[in-house]
Amino acid sequence: MPELEGMLTRLGGELDYPPTPELAPRVAARVAAEPRGARLRDRLAWRRSLAVALVALLLLAGAALAAAPGVRDAVLEFLGLQGATVERREQLPRLPGTRTLDLGRQVPLADAPRALAFEPLVPAAPGRPDAAYVRRVPGGELSLVYRRRPGLPPAAATGIGLLVSEFRGDLLPEYVGKIGGQTTRIEQLTVDGEPAIWIEGAPHFFFYRSPDGALEERPLRLARNVLLLERGDVLVRLEADFDRERAVEIARSLR
Amino acid sequence: MEDRPPSDAELVTRATRGDASAYEEIVRRYETIAFRTAWVITGSAADAEEAAQDGFVKAHRALGRFREGAPLRPWLLTIVANEARNRVRSAGRREALALRVAEERRPDGAVPPPEAALLDSEQRAELLAALARLSEIDRQAIACRYFLELSEEECAAALGCARGTVKSRLSRALARLREQLEPAREASDA
Repeated sequence: MPELEGMLTRLGGELDYPPTPELAPRVAARVAAEPRGARLRDRLAWRRSLAVALVALLLLAGAALAAAPGVRDAVLEFLGLQGATVERREQLPRLPGTRTLDLGRQVPLADAPRALAFEPLVPAAPGRPDAAYVRRVPGGELSLVYRRRPGLPPAAATGIGLLVSEFRGDLLPEYVGKIGGQTTRIEQLTVDGEPAIWIEGAPHFFFYRSPDGALEERPLRLARNVLLLERGDVLVRLEADFDRERAVEIARSLR
Repeated sequence: MEDRPPSDAELVTRATRGDASAYEEIVRRYETIAFRTAWVITGSAADAEEAAQDGFVKAHRALGRFREGAPLRPWLLTIVANEARNRVRSAGRREALALRVAEERRPDGAVPPPEAALLDSEQRAELLAALARLSEIDRQAIACRYFLELSEEECAAALGCARGTVKSRLSRALARLREQLEPAREASDA
Protein backbone atom coordinates (compact mmCIF):
# COMPACT_ATOMS: atom_id res chain seq x y z
CA MET A 1 0.00 0.00 0.00
CA PRO A 2 2.08 2.91 -1.24
CA GLU A 3 -0.43 5.26 0.36
CA LEU A 4 0.79 4.26 3.81
CA GLU A 5 4.40 4.85 2.83
CA GLY A 6 3.48 8.28 1.50
CA MET A 7 1.67 9.10 4.71
CA LEU A 8 4.69 8.08 6.75
CA THR A 9 6.98 10.26 4.66
CA ARG A 10 4.62 13.20 5.16
CA LEU A 11 4.45 12.49 8.88
CA GLY A 12 8.25 12.52 8.96
CA GLY A 13 8.17 16.07 7.64
CA GLU A 14 5.83 17.16 10.41
CA LEU A 15 7.59 15.52 13.36
CA ASP A 16 8.97 17.53 16.21
CA TYR A 17 12.60 16.42 16.32
CA PRO A 18 14.79 17.50 19.21
CA PRO A 19 16.75 20.56 18.08
CA THR A 20 20.09 19.65 16.51
CA PRO A 21 22.91 20.82 18.79
CA GLU A 22 25.70 22.86 17.27
CA LEU A 23 28.17 20.08 16.80
CA ALA A 24 30.56 21.64 14.29
CA PRO A 25 32.42 24.03 16.64
CA ARG A 26 32.63 21.42 19.41
CA VAL A 27 33.92 18.73 17.07
CA ALA A 28 36.40 21.23 15.62
CA ALA A 29 37.69 22.06 19.12
CA ARG A 30 38.14 18.39 19.99
CA VAL A 31 39.83 17.64 16.69
CA ALA A 32 42.18 20.60 17.14
CA ALA A 33 43.11 19.34 20.60
CA GLU A 34 44.15 15.91 19.48
CA PRO A 35 46.11 15.98 16.24
CA ARG A 36 49.17 14.27 17.66
CA GLY A 37 47.15 11.54 19.29
CA ALA A 38 45.03 10.99 16.24
CA ARG A 39 47.99 10.62 13.93
CA LEU A 40 49.81 8.39 16.34
CA ARG A 41 46.87 6.12 16.99
CA ASP A 42 46.01 5.81 13.32
CA ARG A 43 49.48 4.66 12.60
CA LEU A 44 49.38 2.23 15.48
CA ALA A 45 46.03 0.86 14.45
CA TRP A 46 47.20 0.54 10.88
CA ARG A 47 50.21 -1.53 11.77
CA ARG A 48 48.48 -3.19 14.66
CA SER A 49 51.73 -3.15 16.50
CA LEU A 50 53.57 -1.03 18.95
CA ALA A 51 55.30 1.70 17.05
CA VAL A 52 58.74 2.67 18.18
CA ALA A 53 59.59 6.14 17.02
CA LEU A 54 63.06 7.36 17.65
CA VAL A 55 62.83 10.43 15.47
CA ALA A 56 60.81 13.56 16.22
CA LEU A 57 60.13 12.26 19.68
CA LEU A 58 60.20 15.63 21.25
CA LEU A 59 57.34 16.76 19.07
CA LEU A 60 55.25 13.72 19.87
CA ALA A 61 55.98 13.95 23.52
CA GLY A 62 55.17 17.65 23.76
CA ALA A 63 51.98 17.03 25.70
CA ALA A 64 53.73 14.82 28.19
CA LEU A 65 56.50 17.31 28.69
CA ALA A 66 54.02 20.01 29.43
CA ALA A 67 52.07 17.66 31.69
CA ALA A 68 55.14 17.31 33.82
CA PRO A 69 56.21 20.90 34.29
CA GLY A 70 59.90 21.38 34.66
CA VAL A 71 60.72 18.08 33.02
CA ARG A 72 62.43 18.85 29.78
CA ASP A 73 64.90 16.05 29.37
CA ALA A 74 65.43 14.32 26.10
CA VAL A 75 62.98 11.56 25.28
CA LEU A 76 64.88 8.49 24.19
CA GLU A 77 62.04 6.21 23.24
CA PHE A 78 58.31 6.57 22.71
CA LEU A 79 55.78 3.73 22.64
CA GLY A 80 52.03 3.85 22.43
CA LEU A 81 48.87 1.86 22.76
CA GLN A 82 45.36 3.02 22.07
CA GLY A 83 44.86 5.25 25.09
CA ALA A 84 48.35 5.19 26.57
CA THR A 85 51.87 6.40 25.92
CA VAL A 86 55.16 5.27 27.39
CA GLU A 87 58.32 7.31 27.17
CA ARG A 88 61.89 6.65 28.16
CA ARG A 89 63.86 9.71 29.08
CA GLU A 90 67.47 10.51 29.74
CA GLN A 91 66.61 11.73 33.20
CA LEU A 92 63.60 11.15 35.34
CA PRO A 93 61.61 14.00 36.83
CA ARG A 94 62.15 14.63 40.53
CA LEU A 95 60.39 12.18 42.79
CA PRO A 96 56.96 13.52 43.65
CA GLY A 97 55.64 13.33 47.20
CA THR A 98 53.38 10.47 48.20
CA ARG A 99 50.00 10.94 46.65
CA THR A 100 46.66 9.55 47.59
CA LEU A 101 44.90 7.77 44.79
CA ASP A 102 41.99 9.60 43.21
CA LEU A 103 39.98 6.91 41.51
CA GLY A 104 36.60 8.62 41.31
CA ARG A 105 33.39 7.47 42.97
CA GLN A 106 33.15 4.12 44.74
CA VAL A 107 30.31 1.93 43.45
CA PRO A 108 29.22 -1.67 43.91
CA LEU A 109 30.89 -3.63 41.09
CA ALA A 110 27.48 -4.71 39.81
CA ASP A 111 26.50 -1.05 39.28
CA ALA A 112 29.70 -0.07 37.47
CA PRO A 113 28.46 -0.94 33.94
CA ARG A 114 25.87 1.83 34.17
CA ALA A 115 28.66 4.41 34.24
CA LEU A 116 30.73 2.80 31.48
CA ALA A 117 30.55 2.59 27.70
CA PHE A 118 32.18 -0.84 27.74
CA GLU A 119 31.80 -4.18 29.44
CA PRO A 120 33.99 -4.22 32.55
CA LEU A 121 36.76 -6.80 32.45
CA VAL A 122 37.42 -8.42 35.82
CA PRO A 123 40.45 -10.69 36.22
CA ALA A 124 39.54 -14.06 37.67
CA ALA A 125 43.09 -14.91 38.82
CA PRO A 126 43.36 -12.65 41.91
CA GLY A 127 39.83 -13.36 43.16
CA ARG A 128 37.13 -10.76 43.74
CA PRO A 129 38.17 -7.10 43.95
CA ASP A 130 37.72 -5.37 47.30
CA ALA A 131 36.38 -2.16 45.81
CA ALA A 132 35.33 -0.66 42.47
CA TYR A 133 35.45 2.99 41.44
CA VAL A 134 34.20 4.85 38.40
CA ARG A 135 35.44 8.15 37.08
CA ARG A 136 33.48 10.42 34.74
CA VAL A 137 35.45 10.69 31.52
CA PRO A 138 34.19 9.95 27.99
CA GLY A 139 33.23 6.28 28.04
CA GLY A 140 33.92 6.14 31.80
CA GLU A 141 36.91 4.75 33.66
CA LEU A 142 36.73 1.77 35.98
CA SER A 143 39.25 1.06 38.74
CA LEU A 144 39.31 -2.22 40.66
CA VAL A 145 41.21 -2.26 43.93
CA TYR A 146 42.58 -5.43 45.53
CA ARG A 147 44.01 -5.46 49.03
CA ARG A 148 47.18 -7.43 49.71
CA ARG A 149 46.91 -11.15 49.02
CA PRO A 150 49.32 -13.97 48.26
CA GLY A 151 51.61 -12.92 45.42
CA LEU A 152 50.39 -9.31 45.60
CA PRO A 153 52.17 -7.49 48.43
CA PRO A 154 50.87 -4.10 49.55
CA ALA A 155 52.29 -0.92 48.06
CA ALA A 156 54.10 1.14 50.66
CA ALA A 157 52.19 4.33 49.91
CA THR A 158 48.66 3.01 49.52
CA GLY A 159 48.54 -0.50 51.00
CA ILE A 160 46.97 -1.73 47.76
CA GLY A 161 47.96 -5.16 46.41
CA LEU A 162 46.73 -4.72 42.83
CA LEU A 163 45.16 -1.86 40.94
CA VAL A 164 43.30 -2.54 37.68
CA SER A 165 42.12 0.43 35.57
CA GLU A 166 40.09 0.28 32.39
CA PHE A 167 38.81 2.85 29.93
CA ARG A 168 37.94 3.21 26.25
CA GLY A 169 41.29 3.89 24.60
CA ASP A 170 39.59 4.87 21.37
CA LEU A 171 37.66 7.64 23.10
CA LEU A 172 40.59 8.77 25.24
CA PRO A 173 43.69 8.81 23.08
CA GLU A 174 46.88 9.19 25.11
CA TYR A 175 44.82 9.36 28.31
CA VAL A 176 47.45 7.80 30.54
CA GLY A 177 51.17 8.30 30.26
CA LYS A 178 54.23 6.65 31.72
CA ILE A 179 57.69 8.09 31.99
CA GLY A 180 60.58 5.76 32.58
CA GLY A 181 64.29 6.30 32.90
CA GLN A 182 67.22 4.63 31.21
CA THR A 183 67.25 1.74 33.66
CA THR A 184 63.52 1.10 33.54
CA ARG A 185 62.71 -2.10 31.67
CA ILE A 186 60.14 -1.31 28.96
CA GLU A 187 59.11 -4.28 26.88
CA GLN A 188 56.59 -4.75 24.11
CA LEU A 189 54.68 -8.01 24.11
CA THR A 190 51.38 -9.51 23.11
CA VAL A 191 48.82 -11.01 25.46
CA ASP A 192 46.37 -13.34 23.75
CA GLY A 193 47.24 -11.74 20.44
CA GLU A 194 46.66 -8.15 21.58
CA PRO A 195 49.45 -5.60 22.00
CA ALA A 196 50.76 -4.86 25.47
CA ILE A 197 53.62 -3.03 27.17
CA TRP A 198 55.39 -4.25 30.31
CA ILE A 199 57.16 -1.69 32.49
CA GLU A 200 59.31 -2.96 35.32
CA GLY A 201 61.87 -1.92 37.84
CA ALA A 202 63.59 1.40 38.49
CA PRO A 203 61.24 4.21 39.42
CA HIS A 204 58.89 5.31 36.72
CA PHE A 205 55.99 7.70 36.77
CA PHE A 206 52.35 7.72 35.85
CA PHE A 207 50.06 10.59 34.91
CA TYR A 208 46.75 11.39 33.21
CA ARG A 209 45.93 13.77 30.43
CA SER A 210 42.49 15.29 30.49
CA PRO A 211 40.00 13.63 28.13
CA ASP A 212 39.55 16.60 25.81
CA GLY A 213 43.23 16.46 24.93
CA ALA A 214 44.13 19.47 27.04
CA LEU A 215 46.72 18.89 29.69
CA GLU A 216 45.83 17.59 33.07
CA GLU A 217 47.47 19.20 36.03
CA ARG A 218 47.35 16.07 38.08
CA PRO A 219 50.90 15.48 39.24
CA LEU A 220 53.01 12.51 38.46
CA ARG A 221 52.69 9.50 40.66
CA LEU A 222 55.38 6.96 41.36
CA ALA A 223 54.23 3.67 39.94
CA ARG A 224 55.08 0.05 40.61
CA ASN A 225 55.39 -2.59 37.90
CA VAL A 226 52.75 -2.12 35.25
CA LEU A 227 51.26 -4.07 32.39
CA LEU A 228 49.32 -2.00 29.84
CA LEU A 229 47.26 -3.93 27.32
CA GLU A 230 44.56 -3.45 24.75
CA ARG A 231 41.40 -5.51 24.76
CA GLY A 232 39.49 -4.33 21.72
CA ASP A 233 38.62 -0.69 22.37
CA VAL A 234 39.46 -0.98 26.06
CA LEU A 235 42.84 -0.11 27.51
CA VAL A 236 43.57 -2.11 30.67
CA ARG A 237 46.27 -1.17 33.15
CA LEU A 238 47.46 -3.57 35.85
CA GLU A 239 49.73 -2.19 38.56
CA ALA A 240 51.28 -4.23 41.37
CA ASP A 241 54.56 -5.53 42.76
CA PHE A 242 54.42 -8.56 40.51
CA ASP A 243 56.69 -10.04 37.88
CA ARG A 244 55.90 -10.18 34.20
CA GLU A 245 54.66 -13.78 34.26
CA ARG A 246 52.20 -13.10 37.09
CA ALA A 247 51.01 -9.91 35.36
CA VAL A 248 50.38 -11.76 32.11
CA GLU A 249 48.61 -14.54 33.99
CA ILE A 250 46.26 -11.99 35.58
CA ALA A 251 45.74 -10.27 32.22
CA ARG A 252 44.85 -13.59 30.58
CA SER A 253 42.19 -14.15 33.22
CA LEU A 254 40.35 -10.92 32.34
CA ARG A 255 36.72 -11.76 31.58
CA MET B 1 32.67 32.93 -11.85
CA GLU B 2 30.59 30.11 -10.49
CA ASP B 3 30.49 30.14 -6.70
CA ARG B 4 29.39 26.60 -5.99
CA PRO B 5 29.80 24.97 -2.58
CA PRO B 6 32.71 22.54 -2.42
CA SER B 7 31.88 18.89 -3.00
CA ASP B 8 32.23 16.31 -0.23
CA ALA B 9 35.26 14.88 -2.02
CA GLU B 10 36.96 18.30 -2.08
CA LEU B 11 36.23 18.84 1.60
CA VAL B 12 37.58 15.38 2.50
CA THR B 13 40.79 16.01 0.57
CA ARG B 14 41.29 19.35 2.32
CA ALA B 15 40.42 17.94 5.74
CA THR B 16 42.84 15.04 5.26
CA ARG B 17 45.57 17.60 4.60
CA GLY B 18 44.79 19.24 7.92
CA ASP B 19 42.34 21.97 6.88
CA ALA B 20 40.23 22.28 10.04
CA SER B 21 37.64 24.53 8.43
CA ALA B 22 36.97 21.88 5.77
CA TYR B 23 36.13 19.29 8.39
CA GLU B 24 33.97 21.76 10.26
CA GLU B 25 32.05 22.30 7.03
CA ILE B 26 31.56 18.53 6.68
CA VAL B 27 30.19 18.33 10.22
CA ARG B 28 27.86 21.26 9.58
CA ARG B 29 26.63 19.61 6.41
CA TYR B 30 25.69 16.35 8.10
CA GLU B 31 25.16 17.16 11.79
CA THR B 32 21.37 17.21 11.56
CA ILE B 33 20.98 13.87 9.85
CA ALA B 34 23.68 12.34 12.08
CA PHE B 35 22.06 13.66 15.26
CA ARG B 36 18.58 12.52 14.23
CA THR B 37 19.86 9.07 13.27
CA ALA B 38 21.51 8.74 16.69
CA TRP B 39 18.27 9.97 18.29
CA VAL B 40 16.23 7.29 16.54
CA ILE B 41 18.69 4.66 17.82
CA THR B 42 19.07 5.87 21.41
CA GLY B 43 15.69 7.52 21.97
CA SER B 44 17.49 10.26 23.92
CA ALA B 45 18.57 13.68 22.69
CA ALA B 46 21.44 13.81 25.21
CA ASP B 47 22.82 10.41 24.17
CA ALA B 48 22.34 11.29 20.52
CA GLU B 49 24.33 14.47 20.96
CA GLU B 50 27.23 12.61 22.58
CA ALA B 51 27.12 9.82 20.02
CA ALA B 52 27.08 12.24 17.08
CA GLN B 53 29.90 14.31 18.52
CA ASP B 54 32.08 11.29 19.31
CA GLY B 55 31.25 9.81 15.92
CA PHE B 56 32.41 12.90 14.06
CA VAL B 57 35.64 13.01 16.09
CA LYS B 58 36.31 9.35 15.32
CA ALA B 59 35.49 9.85 11.67
CA HIS B 60 38.08 12.62 11.52
CA ARG B 61 40.71 10.27 12.92
CA ALA B 62 39.77 7.68 10.33
CA LEU B 63 39.65 10.09 7.36
CA GLY B 64 42.95 8.75 6.06
CA ARG B 65 41.28 5.40 5.56
CA PHE B 66 38.19 6.77 3.81
CA ARG B 67 38.02 5.29 0.32
CA GLU B 68 38.41 8.02 -2.26
CA GLY B 69 35.30 8.48 -4.37
CA ALA B 70 33.00 6.63 -1.94
CA PRO B 71 29.89 8.49 -0.74
CA LEU B 72 30.65 10.32 2.50
CA ARG B 73 27.24 10.44 4.16
CA PRO B 74 26.69 6.67 4.63
CA TRP B 75 30.25 6.33 5.92
CA LEU B 76 29.73 9.07 8.52
CA LEU B 77 26.32 7.72 9.51
CA THR B 78 27.80 4.25 9.99
CA ILE B 79 30.33 5.60 12.49
CA VAL B 80 27.76 7.72 14.34
CA ALA B 81 25.24 4.86 14.40
CA ASN B 82 27.89 2.54 15.87
CA GLU B 83 28.54 5.06 18.62
CA ALA B 84 24.82 5.33 19.31
CA ARG B 85 24.32 1.56 19.44
CA ASN B 86 27.35 1.17 21.75
CA ARG B 87 25.74 3.62 24.13
CA VAL B 88 22.47 1.72 24.16
CA ARG B 89 24.34 -1.56 24.65
CA SER B 90 26.48 -0.33 27.50
CA ALA B 91 23.52 1.31 29.23
CA GLY B 92 21.57 -1.93 28.87
CA ARG B 93 18.43 0.02 28.03
CA ARG B 94 17.14 2.62 25.64
CA GLU B 95 14.52 5.28 25.94
CA ALA B 96 11.37 4.79 23.88
CA LEU B 97 11.36 7.03 20.84
CA ALA B 98 8.90 9.82 21.60
CA LEU B 99 7.28 10.78 18.31
CA ARG B 100 5.41 14.05 18.39
CA VAL B 101 4.17 16.32 15.69
CA ALA B 102 5.54 19.83 15.63
CA GLU B 103 3.01 22.47 16.50
CA GLU B 104 2.60 25.53 14.34
CA ARG B 105 6.23 26.40 14.66
CA ARG B 106 8.09 27.64 11.66
CA PRO B 107 11.07 29.40 13.15
CA ASP B 108 12.90 30.58 10.09
CA GLY B 109 9.83 31.77 8.24
CA ALA B 110 9.82 28.61 6.12
CA VAL B 111 6.96 28.36 3.68
CA PRO B 112 4.47 25.77 4.92
CA PRO B 113 4.12 22.80 2.60
CA PRO B 114 1.08 22.78 0.31
CA GLU B 115 -2.14 21.60 1.92
CA ALA B 116 -2.14 18.43 -0.14
CA ALA B 117 1.11 17.34 1.45
CA LEU B 118 -0.18 17.60 5.00
CA LEU B 119 -1.94 14.89 6.90
CA ASP B 120 -5.25 15.71 8.45
CA SER B 121 -5.24 15.66 12.20
CA GLU B 122 -7.21 12.42 12.39
CA GLN B 123 -4.81 10.55 10.10
CA ARG B 124 -1.89 11.92 12.02
CA ALA B 125 -3.28 10.87 15.40
CA GLU B 126 -4.12 7.40 14.07
CA LEU B 127 -0.67 6.93 12.63
CA LEU B 128 1.08 8.11 15.76
CA ALA B 129 -1.04 5.86 17.95
CA ALA B 130 -0.37 2.86 15.71
CA LEU B 131 3.36 3.62 15.68
CA ALA B 132 3.37 3.82 19.46
CA ARG B 133 2.03 0.27 19.63
CA LEU B 134 4.84 -1.14 17.46
CA SER B 135 8.00 -2.68 18.84
CA GLU B 136 11.04 -0.45 19.09
CA ILE B 137 12.70 -2.43 16.30
CA ASP B 138 9.81 -1.84 13.89
CA ARG B 139 9.53 1.80 14.87
CA GLN B 140 13.25 2.34 14.27
CA ALA B 141 13.10 0.75 10.82
CA ILE B 142 10.16 2.97 9.82
CA ALA B 143 11.77 6.07 11.32
CA CYS B 144 15.03 5.53 9.43
CA ARG B 145 13.43 4.87 6.06
CA TYR B 146 10.42 7.18 6.02
CA PHE B 147 11.04 9.89 8.59
CA LEU B 148 14.75 10.42 8.03
CA GLU B 149 14.54 9.16 4.44
CA LEU B 150 17.82 7.27 4.73
CA SER B 151 18.99 5.17 1.82
CA GLU B 152 18.97 1.40 2.11
CA GLU B 153 22.70 1.41 2.85
CA GLU B 154 22.26 4.08 5.52
CA CYS B 155 19.30 2.23 7.05
CA ALA B 156 21.47 -0.89 7.32
CA ALA B 157 24.13 1.14 9.12
CA ALA B 158 21.63 2.73 11.47
CA LEU B 159 19.78 -0.48 12.26
CA GLY B 160 22.95 -2.52 12.56
CA CYS B 161 21.80 -5.14 10.07
CA ALA B 162 22.96 -6.39 6.68
CA ARG B 163 21.92 -4.33 3.70
CA GLY B 164 20.03 -7.29 2.33
CA THR B 165 17.77 -7.52 5.37
CA VAL B 166 16.66 -3.86 5.41
CA LYS B 167 13.86 -4.51 2.90
CA SER B 168 12.48 -7.50 4.79
CA ARG B 169 12.61 -5.68 8.12
CA LEU B 170 10.81 -2.74 6.63
CA SER B 171 8.12 -4.82 5.00
CA ARG B 172 7.48 -6.67 8.26
CA ALA B 173 7.32 -3.36 10.14
CA LEU B 174 4.86 -1.93 7.60
CA ALA B 175 2.71 -5.05 7.78
CA ARG B 176 2.50 -4.75 11.54
CA LEU B 177 1.72 -1.06 11.27
CA ARG B 178 -1.14 -1.87 8.90
CA GLU B 179 -2.44 -4.42 11.39
CA GLN B 180 -2.40 -1.75 14.06
CA LEU B 181 -4.25 0.67 11.77
CA GLU B 182 -6.98 -1.76 10.73
CA PRO B 183 -9.02 -1.76 13.94
CA ALA B 184 -9.06 2.02 13.96
CA ARG B 185 -10.22 2.08 10.34
CA GLU B 186 -12.93 -0.48 10.96
CA ALA B 187 -14.14 1.43 13.99
CA SER B 188 -14.32 4.67 12.03
CA ASP B 189 -16.12 2.96 9.11
CA ALA B 190 -18.72 1.41 11.40
